[in-house]
Amino acid sequence: MNASVFFQGGTLVLYQTDDNERVPTPFQFVKSRWRCEAYRYHTVLPWMQEQGIRNAVPRWPRLALELHDTREPHEYQVQALDAWKQANGRGSIVLPTGAGKTLAATHAIRHVNSSAVVLVPTTSLVYQWYALLTNVFQTEIGVYYGGEKRVLPLTVTTYHSAGDLIAEYGNAFKLFICDEVHHLPAKTWGEAALMAPAPFRLGLTATYPDEHEQTGERWRLDELIGPIVYTQRLETLLGKQLAEYRTQRVRVDLTKEERARYEAAHAIYMGFVRERGLQRTHGAGWMRELMRLSTVDQDARRAWLARRQILNLLDSCQGKFAALEALLQEHAGERILVFTESNEVAYKISRQYLVPVISHETSVAERKYILDAFQTGHYSVIITSKVLNEGVDVPEAKVAIVLGGGASKREYLQRLGRILRKKEPLEAVLIEVLVRNTIEEGKVQRRYVAREDC
Amino acid sequence: MLTSELIRPRLRIRGSALHVEMVNEHDPFLQQTAQDLICLFQHYQGQSHAAWEAALRAYEGTRLDYVFMRGLGKVLADSATFTPLMTPHPPLILRERTFAYGPVFEKPDMFHPTTRQEALQGIADGFGLSIAEHDEMLYADRHASHRLTDAGPAWTPVELLARYNLELARGALYWASHLTIEVSSNYKDLWKFIKLFKLMFWAQPMQGGGYRIDLDGPISPFVTSTLRYGRQLAAFLPALLLCERWQMHAYVRPPQAKGETIYRLDHTCSLRSHFKSSGVFDSRLEEDFASEFEQKMGGKRGHWRLTRESEVLLLGDTVMVPDFVLTDTKDEKRRILIELVGFWHPNYLRRKVEKVRAANCTHLLLLVYKGLNVTEEAFQDTASQVIFFQEKPVLKEVIEIIEAMAERVYGPRQKPERIRAKQRKPKHSRIEDDTIAASDLE
Repeated sequence: MNASVFFQGGTLVLYQTDDNERVPTPFQFVKSRWRCEAYRYHTVLPWMQEQGIRNAVPRWPRLALELHDTREPHEYQVQALDAWKQANGRGSIVLPTGAGKTLAATHAIRHVNSSAVVLVPTTSLVYQWYALLTNVFQTEIGVYYGGEKRVLPLTVTTYHSAGDLIAEYGNAFKLFICDEVHHLPAKTWGEAALMAPAPFRLGLTATYPDEHEQTGERWRLDELIGPIVYTQRLETLLGKQLAEYRTQRVRVDLTKEERARYEAAHAIYMGFVRERGLQRTHGAGWMRELMRLSTVDQDARRAWLARRQILNLLDSCQGKFAALEALLQEHAGERILVFTESNEVAYKISRQYLVPVISHETSVAERKYILDAFQTGHYSVIITSKVLNEGVDVPEAKVAIVLGGGASKREYLQRLGRILRKKEPLEAVLIEVLVRNTIEEGKVQRRYVAREDC
Repeated sequence: MLTSELIRPRLRIRGSALHVEMVNEHDPFLQQTAQDLICLFQHYQGQSHAAWEAALRAYEGTRLDYVFMRGLGKVLADSATFTPLMTPHPPLILRERTFAYGPVFEKPDMFHPTTRQEALQGIADGFGLSIAEHDEMLYADRHASHRLTDAGPAWTPVELLARYNLELARGALYWASHLTIEVSSNYKDLWKFIKLFKLMFWAQPMQGGGYRIDLDGPISPFVTSTLRYGRQLAAFLPALLLCERWQMHAYVRPPQAKGETIYRLDHTCSLRSHFKSSGVFDSRLEEDFASEFEQKMGGKRGHWRLTRESEVLLLGDTVMVPDFVLTDTKDEKRRILIELVGFWHPNYLRRKVEKVRAANCTHLLLLVYKGLNVTEEAFQDTASQVIFFQEKPVLKEVIEIIEAMAERVYGPRQKPERIRAKQRKPKHSRIEDDTIAASDLE
């Protein structure tokens, strides 16, 4: 029998070869066979062809895909796609949130005209891509994530589930697309890219990780996906493709009783942190140290519980709800997105104002119903906690109200991006509600620094 | 299984050794906590998951061992059943109808002439519900709203603590990249579970019997200690506990450790498996064969000893565990393996034939049921001996073949007894009778 190369659980395995034969470097002799990671496929292919080795890897079908999309790509999208083709279909396209990265992706799929898998960070994005690909190609689209597993030539999966999908069906996809590709260097999430033999690869993001953000992790994006092939910054598109936006801060006060509880809890919490000098001794990891201490030290346990009390208090203080109510009334008739810090508060608001919630618990069908109803104006408000944080397309929303909210730069950019999707030349507004003279104000300060370099 | 934040605080690292801080199942204070939580959980029968969680938090109070208490709570909840509240209208429909009115406010204004109260009353009336019922049912399908309908097994405090310890040991493997085990009994279950959890193994026979088995996954050699297979290794652990004599060491990278640590366990640990050992015969066919053999050829009646599944044939990246091993009692080196191929799905059979062919094993005897859609040619180029049978294997025929095989593979027997055994012709008719009597195999 001739020598042949097979795909096995994310690796390429060489069978039936003469031991004396020179096998090129990516292959290693492990467990009685020559093996290598599947992403090496495109580099070992010329050698296999030269040696006349049977290639049993590809199981990707040729498809006859047609774009049923009336949207014409913008010039920068065409340029981005050309740059990607020039780079032999390997590399990342960096475009601001809302600038239509997905359109570039559908054109890439059409170009390769074979099976493709799309990796996304959240199940909510699984749904969004599912809907998009269904509409654009008018064919059945597979999904593979915690809730549902159905593998088809065009399949959408989460980074979390991608490893399992690729281990089993890696060689069924010729094109490997990573949405929000800045997630890929993360420890386990990169393995899926390593295990896929797909010769064509496309990364999409608004925030390509800096070199220092990739160090300390196992892989560099260039190696797994290819280089950046196209970049377009936010400022150059603002006002052209995206709506203008402004931000507004609403400061509220704690009630007398809340203030008393806050100060008491804060004294316990910060008292402990300062007394032990945790920030000094443990730097950025001081919170983890506090958590560890809370299992062995009674004072630390009290401080930890006090911290939880503070967060609960800020999350659900009367002032915020009063401000929210005023804002909902003020913006009556407009499409409003409300972001909350916790699921619990999201559901509380839902019951209070009889408005829908989208959370990680919301099923695909209900999510679709809610978003469709929001689009038609049947619903004017959606409450959400962390789910809509990344790239979910809600072009109708012109007002975003953030109650509390994380301090990270990336999260802020994504939230901002969402209400900027171009729909009509209306000004979008992002309103932050925060509690005066509490730890929340520090968070917002950090966020404004972030805005300047976006 | 426990969540990782319930495992992490209980891991201890000393040098390169990883220890899991287990609880003393006989500590009266811990038993009391276990007892309290078992009672508390029972008490929440019929109530929501969220209510149980809140009760657990309240019980924790400011105690420092909250990680332990939450672990017990998780074990209790995982082995119990929570089901959604039955509602006359699906919550989804209630929501669709309800949210069409939002946002609503307590006081009316120009844009919202209907108050919250009026809107709610209208919606509830439309469904024939009270406002309170409507409120209860609106999100009845959320996991947090699901009701505890079956509190699971009747735990004793010691059982609950023991299971908690097992879950801690499993949890340590969440960050495992690789497992090396040595076992010397009860393989069949082991291979079954290795397969079930989609692990990759590398087995070598050990001097003095048993196997040394390395467990990881296909991508492992290329990704320095990938944690991709940690969950599978953790899920697999109870299968190892089913073996009688074993030891394992796992290479683990818990988040709080700087580098790799080693976690060791062996059969002297007090952990108990909750997996079922297959123990009983896989099929009636095997059982009947074994009992007939015992009855007619067992003890002093023959020179062969029949044991079940004590040998493994390693076939590259798969294994075969033949159903029986016949060992010559006078000469232990003389061994014949028997595999019964009974009533199986054609796919299973195809794989089996592949395995047999790959085994290239001269001391393997296959007993194949003729009703199967398998032609005799399928086995033609196997090195093994094959007997086809109609209802069940004819013992006399089997023994004759075995003797011939043993002679071919191992040469003539030293003792002359063999010839006498072979010449017992009168038994023949009795075997025939049994054949007919045992025709209810389906």
